[in-house]
Amino acid sequence: MTEENQPWTARFRPKTLVELVGNERAVRQLETWVRSWEKGVPKQRAVFLYGPPGVGKTVSVLALANKLGYDVMEVNSSDYRTRKNLDSLIGRSIHQRFTITGRRRMILFDELEGVSGREDYGGIGAIAGIIKATEIPVVLIATSIRERWEDKFRPLRDISLHIKYNPVPFSQILMRLKVIVEELGISVDEEVLELLADLSEGDLRSTINDLEAVARGKTRVTMEDTQNLAQRDRKDYTPDALAKMFSAKTLRDARRVVSSAHISYDDLYNWIYENLPIVLDNPLDLVEGMNALARADIHQTRARRTQSYRLLKYMFNEMTGGVALARRNSEGLGLVKMARQKIAEQGFPPRDFTITETPDGVMIKPNRYLKNDWRRVNEAVRSMGAVWVRRGGCWNLPYFRSPQQVWRYRRTWQSRRRRRSLAARVAEKCHVSSHEAVAEVIPLLKVIFEEDPFMAGDIAGWLGLEDGEVKWLKT
Amino acid sequence: MSGGMWAEKYRPQTLDDMVNQSEIISRLKNFVKDRNLPHLLFVGPAGVGKTTSILALARDLYGPAYRSYILELNASDERGINVIREKVKNFARTASIASQVSFKILVMDEADSLTNAAQHALRRTMEIYTRTCRFCLIGKYSEIIIDPIQSRCSIFRFAPLSERDMKGWIRSIAKKEGVSLIEEGLVAIYEAAQGDLRKATNLLQAAAATQKDEVDDIVIYSVLGRVSPGKVRELLNMGLKGEFMEARKILRTLLIDEGLAADDIIRMIYSEIMRLSIPERWKVKLSDTLGEIDYRLTQGARPEIQLSALVANLALAGEEMDR
Repeated sequence: MTEENQPWTARFRPKTLVELVGNERAVRQLETWVRSWEKGVPKQRAVFLYGPPGVGKTVSVLALANKLGYDVMEVNSSDYRTRKNLDSLIGRSIHQRFTITGRRRMILFDELEGVSGREDYGGIGAIAGIIKATEIPVVLIATSIRERWEDKFRPLRDISLHIKYNPVPFSQILMRLKVIVEELGISVDEEVLELLADLSEGDLRSTINDLEAVARGKTRVTMEDTQNLAQRDRKDYTPDALAKMFSAKTLRDARRVVSSAHISYDDLYNWIYENLPIVLDNPLDLVEGMNALARADIHQTRARRTQSYRLLKYMFNEMTGGVALARRNSEGLGLVKMARQKIAEQGFPPRDFTITETPDGVMIKPNRYLKNDWRRVNEAVRSMGAVWVRRGGCWNLPYFRSPQQVWRYRRTWQSRRRRRSLAARVAEKCHVSSHEAVAEVIPLLKVIFEEDPFMAGDIAGWLGLEDGEVKWLKT
Repeated sequence: MSGGMWAEKYRPQTLDDMVNQSEIISRLKNFVKDRNLPHLLFVGPAGVGKTTSILALARDLYGPAYRSYILELNASDERGINVIREKVKNFARTASIASQVSFKILVMDEADSLTNAAQHALRRTMEIYTRTCRFCLIGKYSEIIIDPIQSRCSIFRFAPLSERDMKGWIRSIAKKEGVSLIEEGLVAIYEAAQGDLRKATNLLQAAAATQKDEVDDIVIYSVLGRVSPGKVRELLNMGLKGEFMEARKILRTLLIDEGLAADDIIRMIYSEIMRLSIPERWKVKLSDTLGEIDYRLTQGARPEIQLSALVANLALAGEEMDR
């Protein structure tokens, strides 16, 4: 694979410590600990790196190993981490401090948050055993050292040195993006980079992914190009986890989605909410499912307000089991029905299209050449979330769509900013609060500005509006 | 004729211009005559002249330059007790330079949305700066204002406008602006505004913008259909029909695209529910559900989720009505 063909996260992955962005202190601490092995086995034989995804935990270990001349044996979530498997994987190597070529060795257990209680039975205990016996450095990595709802890392916590990684600050992400853009030789508007950095929440890796999504194959990128950004499904495996959840017959099976979806439970919550009406197509089921989701919201609010995170388990039960077990009268995903209805609404006879379920969702395939009708059909099915697959000559409607309110917020941020400034002006001039201005006055102003240019001009002058605000009111 | 929003253009400028609330106005006029004021607490529904009265009083008291002697704050915008403390104190502690009046006036609109803590802070401020500043607190409900503040204020209760006053006022604006408003249109405005004169005036203006000939009830309803309460009605209808996906789309338009606050939507849903033609028993039931949701929102719950749950439940009401 040439460098150009690589995903940008790989291409711009730091290879040396100097290229690393953020978490300087954590990396220094890590280096001190690794170096301490040169004088024999230290008191703490393992180090536990924890922090949110995409801030450079793994990369810093690999870069440091490179610098200090270590070979890294890596065990991550693609490996089964049962006791038996770990023993055969690691085995006696923890007693062999050097490779046959004379390089030092270390073990890296990555993505520990993905160690599951059932499939990886005994895994955590086995890792603890390895740490107690090891003669080479052991590095543990997880997103959090103390999971809120099940304290599975406890045996590891007590016998390791903890180093915390923080989200990468906005300014550093922005700087890194600028360097990358420069290296690529493309021109990207400053505000695009700022938006990306802003959306990153300190996750540099996902930001580079997003940059690639909007900029790949372009020489110039403007705010226009960011419109589809949030529609991209950043985590491909979430839909699979959701499918399992929605078809679960027990609370326990449904609950599993919380750890298997690999997204924060807030995001998961939004995914479930987004797709719930598609799965629960019977009104009675929908009421029950929606009530469960609303109850979940309450439990979370209480957990947050009282700082009692043990209450979160009630939230999880409602949002997973409460929703999945509400499915009693629903026919299924209801997507085929929805698609048929949409096509019929456009006035096509059923024989014009083949609509069937596929492993990825629902396929909508025209049986004849659509010519000028294509655009109309496209518009109709796109409103459900279907996308045209050119190679297949059909539309694909995915089973689960990503939460829409998120991209809707992002798409409308400029408009909302404009409304806020306008509301402040109206509030002052009309002696009302700005939320009253938004609720009562601005909607009527919009009617006036759309209908009567003369009256609109008069009001614009009276309120002292700028061109941009006038334009916003007219659309 | 020009002059911006009609609700402002025709806002009475002096106490003499006020057409309603005659008893309150005559008491306020006495304050102007004495060139002295107690602290004031104005309570009553929206759009009946509370803000107008205090602005008119200030103009009568200080003359055309009254703006420099009065500070208007809106408690629902000035969030946080510190902002209120600072702005209020800075304004209140400096003496008036008007020759004949020794105090300035601070108007706190929507005072009933102040937290308890903020009200207690305000109470002390009112006491300390009484010499240089009078407070006029405005709100819908006096019950929510703490007793110590109530006992320091003269309370004025503003009555809802009578149908005659309101129609007369709207008719006179229509005449001055050359709008041919027929009786059916006037009735529709009156019913939509529910005694809120500002709302009625704004509605008349928007209707006049869409229709150059005759403004009748159909014009008014078409304008109402294009603003938030019309969309709220559509939302409820979709919910009753069990069209959850469509309803959720409208809900998102209101919350995200139009930026309405959740409690405004709740307020609109409430008044729409009361007007729906559904079994009375369901009105009580839905009001109870709405009350539960309203409370949940004060506790920090997600507005879209809670309102979606309400919409889903509407389908049950709709189904029972079909049977």
